[in-house]
Amino acid sequence: MKSKSNVLLYNIAAVVIGLVISGLLLLFMKVNPLDVCGQALQKIVTDKYNLGEILVKATPLIFTSLAFAFTYNANLFNIGAQGQFTMGAIIAVALSLGLQDSLPTWLLLLLVLLGSFAGGAAVGGLIGGAKAKFHANEFLVSMMSTYVITNFMDYLLRTSLQETKAEYMQTDAISSSAYLPNIIPGTRVHLGFVIAVAAAVAAWILLNKTQLGFQIRAVGKNADASRLGGISSGKIYVISFMIAGGLAGMAGLTEINGVQHMLLRDFNASIGSYGIGIAILANGNPLGCIFASLLFGFLNVMGTTMGRLPGLNIPASIIELIEGVVMICVIISYAVRYAMDTKKKKAMMRKAGV
Amino acid sequence: MVNILTRAIMMSTPLLLGALAEVYAERTGMMICAIEGIFLIGAWGGFVGVYLSGSLLVGLLLAIALGGLMALLYAFVTVTLGQQQVVTGTAMNILAVGICSYFQRVLFGVPTTPLQIDTLPKLSIPLLSKIPFIGEIFFQQNILTYIAYILIPVSIFVLYKTSLGLAIRSTGENPVAVDVAGLPVNRIRFLTVLVAGCIGGLAGSFYTVGYLGMFSSNVIGGRGWIAFAICFLGNWSPKGAVLGTLAFGLADALSIYFRTGTTAVPTELIIALPYILTIVLTIFRSNFRVPAKLGVPYRKES
Repeated sequence: MKSKSNVLLYNIAAVVIGLVISGLLLLFMKVNPLDVCGQALQKIVTDKYNLGEILVKATPLIFTSLAFAFTYNANLFNIGAQGQFTMGAIIAVALSLGLQDSLPTWLLLLLVLLGSFAGGAAVGGLIGGAKAKFHANEFLVSMMSTYVITNFMDYLLRTSLQETKAEYMQTDAISSSAYLPNIIPGTRVHLGFVIAVAAAVAAWILLNKTQLGFQIRAVGKNADASRLGGISSGKIYVISFMIAGGLAGMAGLTEINGVQHMLLRDFNASIGSYGIGIAILANGNPLGCIFASLLFGFLNVMGTTMGRLPGLNIPASIIELIEGVVMICVIISYAVRYAMDTKKKKAMMRKAGV
Repeated sequence: MVNILTRAIMMSTPLLLGALAEVYAERTGMMICAIEGIFLIGAWGGFVGVYLSGSLLVGLLLAIALGGLMALLYAFVTVTLGQQQVVTGTAMNILAVGICSYFQRVLFGVPTTPLQIDTLPKLSIPLLSKIPFIGEIFFQQNILTYIAYILIPVSIFVLYKTSLGLAIRSTGENPVAVDVAGLPVNRIRFLTVLVAGCIGGLAGSFYTVGYLGMFSSNVIGGRGWIAFAICFLGNWSPKGAVLGTLAFGLADALSIYFRTGTTAVPTELIIALPYILTIVLTIFRSNFRVPAKLGVPYRKES
């Protein structure tokens, strides 16, 4: 227990240092970082809508970070959450457009939920299958799959899914009967946030409290030893990749039916890579993904708000800068913690006269 | 036909530079997962250098320097601190996007017209360029392509015929033995990554200085990762890297060619071709000879 709070402490310190460094980079814009951050913070906390945006931005990140974290427990690298999400989004928008007039909202949303999960899971299953059957490097395959799926989406947006006006590469807007219900009036927060948190809790239970979860973690610790113990690592590769893909796919539901209400080019194009950073910040723990996603949601809103401060002309790309710096600081903090622990252990051993 | 092949050689150039850089690093056990970010910062550095100084050489040097700086940070976190390479790489790729687009804005504000630079001129090699067919394809390219040509034999020689190459290869296979032999494992890794980063930066600059004459933060579009993949598919050898690069360069050239014309095949399929190729090759290639300690940090027992 003590060591766990320790991890959190290091994490917080790393995040703070990361924020300070990126604050200093604001000096290049010839503005006062403290002043800018203060103004932005004030804009966020005094405005219910902005506070809600933190949850809105965190929602898809919870899913994509879970997609990385889940396979990470099996010592697999799922770099393809972006593609799995895109597949989920394609299915979400297609189902919504196709069935919105004929089904009651709750049934439609349930179908879209299952459909987007299945879409992502299918992609994940193929990657896991390639790993299990052909020993293909899942890192490369999952990464390349994103580019393939993105082009597939572009193709659909130009052909069968294109809007009726056929002017831009985007779909028609779905009707309001297919929207995920809003849960906090005055904000854009929708039911998707609750689904995301529930998914994270479910992923945690699955990993830590079930037989399957035990097997996944066992394969992650030592695939050869688990094979001797009667666990088929190939099966575990496929299953964990399917679940991970499905989790990323569900972000398709929340973003299509909850936020954007249509599919367009470059749709949430970087939530996949952020998911990886968030999962690392959470050390692969699904529950930690919730909080780390909230942090990134906050940073995201902070960046956008800074960009909108009048007269300062701060680019929105400051978000990537901040998040990149914060991630590097967190990774370095893991090394610092390791070094401190080793030092402590050595000191204890010396004391004990070993 | 000649046109497409000329283009294929041209588009192979940055991939070859990147793949060779990756081969060297991975032979020491270090995957450079920040390669996409290194390409990007090289592309940006090249653009900024040329735009601000008007000199192509300054652009290329800045690209090399920034690529090296990125690699320095990457090597510090992964070699010195022994952290996860995939994870560090992902973080740095995001950081690179942030750095480039932020400082692009700091330097140039919001320009009303897209900023343009001159691109590297095509240099015709005397005599060789006069050879029919071959001359046109291979010897009417820009300087970066010729640098890549030279690097092929040089890197094969260094890797297989010198004691440095032996040290590099052994570091990825058996770092403990290298350590026992009195060679500094982590310093070999650190320096190799650094050199690879410089080459990666130069490779990235090809997209702005050698080809487009413009910069946007999606100018690399996954090509760094393709260089990364080529290193795997080419079995961690310079020769394999050359073959892989040619295949991808051809796919890249074809996709540009078809994008401008109208064909029955959807353009998206053609754009996706290099990526599909990578997946197929990754799946159906079985005889990989992965460096034994690839991706494993080395900590000296004490």
